[in-house]
Amino acid sequence: MDLAVQLGLEWGLPILLLVLAYFTGTAVERSHYRSIRVREARTRRMPTTTGRRVPTPWRVTDAGLVAGSVVISLDYFKRFLAGLRGLVGGRVKSYESLLDRARREALLRMKEQASERGFDAVVNVRLETSRLASSQRQGKGTAGVEILAFGTGLKRAS
Amino acid sequence: MTGRDPSGGPTERFEPRLPPDEINVGPTHPLSELATLIAGIAVATLVVVGGGALLVDGVVAHVSPELEARIFGSLFEDETDASDVLHADTARDLLSSLLRHEPGRAQTLRLRVALDDDPNAFALPGGTVVVTSGLLEQVESRNELAFVLAHELGHFEGRHHLRGLGRMVMVHLTLLALVGASGGEALPTTIASLAERGFSRDQEREADAYALALLNLEYGHVGGADHFFRKLPDADAGFARHAAAYLSTHPVTESRIADLAEAARAHGYRVATDLEPL
Repeated sequence: MDLAVQLGLEWGLPILLLVLAYFTGTAVERSHYRSIRVREARTRRMPTTTGRRVPTPWRVTDAGLVAGSVVISLDYFKRFLAGLRGLVGGRVKSYESLLDRARREALLRMKEQASERGFDAVVNVRLETSRLASSQRQGKGTAGVEILAFGTGLKRAS
Repeated sequence: MTGRDPSGGPTERFEPRLPPDEINVGPTHPLSELATLIAGIAVATLVVVGGGALLVDGVVAHVSPELEARIFGSLFEDETDASDVLHADTARDLLSSLLRHEPGRAQTLRLRVALDDDPNAFALPGGTVVVTSGLLEQVESRNELAFVLAHELGHFEGRHHLRGLGRMVMVHLTLLALVGASGGEALPTTIASLAERGFSRDQEREADAYALALLNLEYGHVGGADHFFRKLPDADAGFARHAAAYLSTHPVTESRIADLAEAARAHGYRVATDLEPL
C-alpha cells in the first residue's frame, strides 16, 4: 500500500500538475486573446506610433504621459516545456504566446488610459520589459514578466 | 499617416488597421511540441547511457579481483565487524566452503557482518560480502544462507558491483557535462535512472542463476534456495508491486521465485526438502 502511495506522490503529482496547468493555461490564454481582439477592434481608431514628432498639421492643445502595464505569470506547463527547450535549444514557443499577449495587453491599457484622459493619439510609444524573479530558486527562476508601454498622449484642437 | 490639404486644415488619411493575427506566435500546438521534445530527449539519453554502459563494461572487464582489492580494499578496512552476532561464524564457514568451488577468488573475498535489523546482503567493491544481523536472525537453514551468499558471489563473478559504480559515475558526469544547470535535467536523469534499474534487474537475475548453480555444486540439490524470497513482504505481489516493477532495482520477488523454479527444472537440479540446520 505504501509503495502505491510513494509511486503516486513521486510520479502522479507532477504529471497531474502538468495536466492541470495545461488545461487552465490554455483556457486562460484563449479567453485573454478573445478579450485582446475585442479591445483592439474598439481602440483601433486611436493612432499610436513610435514616431517622436507631433503629426503635422495637428494643433495640439494638451499632452501628457500615458502608460499601461501588465504582469503575466508562467504556468507550470509552459515552464516545463521551456525547461526541455533549455536542453535542446530553439524557439521557446510556449513563451512566445505569453509575451505576445503581454505586449498587446500593455499597449491596449495605454490606449485605454489615453482615451479616458481625452487624448486623441499617442506618440513616441516605448515598451519596457522586466522579469520578476522567483523567490523559490534563489532569484534565478522566473515568476513572471512585467511589460510597460508608455508614450505621449496628444489632444488635438477640434 | 497624415496629409495636408491646401487650406491648412487637417486631412484624415489615417487608416486604422488591425494587426495580422498571431503573427508573433508559432502555429505549433504545445502538446505536439511536448511529445516531440520528450521523445527526442528520451532517445538521446538512452543512446548516451547505453554508450556509457558499453564503455564501462569494457573497462571493468580488465579490472582483475586483485586490482579491485588493491583499489577499494582500504575503503572498508576499519568498519566495525560484529563477529559475535548469531550465526556469524556459520556464515563465514559457509562462505569459505562455497569458495572452494571458485579457487581463484578465495584470497580476495571476505565476509563482514553489519548490525542492522533489516535482512539484507550486498557485495562491496574490494571483495567484501556484507550480511546484516537481521538476515542472520531470519535464516532457517544452511541452504538458505548459502543461497544468499552465493547470490552475492554471483555479483562479484559478473563484476556487477563495479559495473554499477562505473555506470553511475559515467551517467552523472555525462549528463552534467551535456546538460549543465539548465534546469531541464529532470527528464534525462529520470530516463537514465529507469534504464539503470533495468540493467540492475538483469544483474539480479544473473546472480540468482549463478547462485542456483553454485548451490547445486555444494549440496547436490537446490532445496531451500527460494526460502529467503518467500519471507519477503512482497512475495505475494499485488497489483501495485507489479506496476512498480519497472521502477524497481530488483525483479518482482514473485517472478524471482518462479524463475528459480524454472531454472531448476531446466538444469535438472533436484529440489530436496532435507535441509541442513544452522
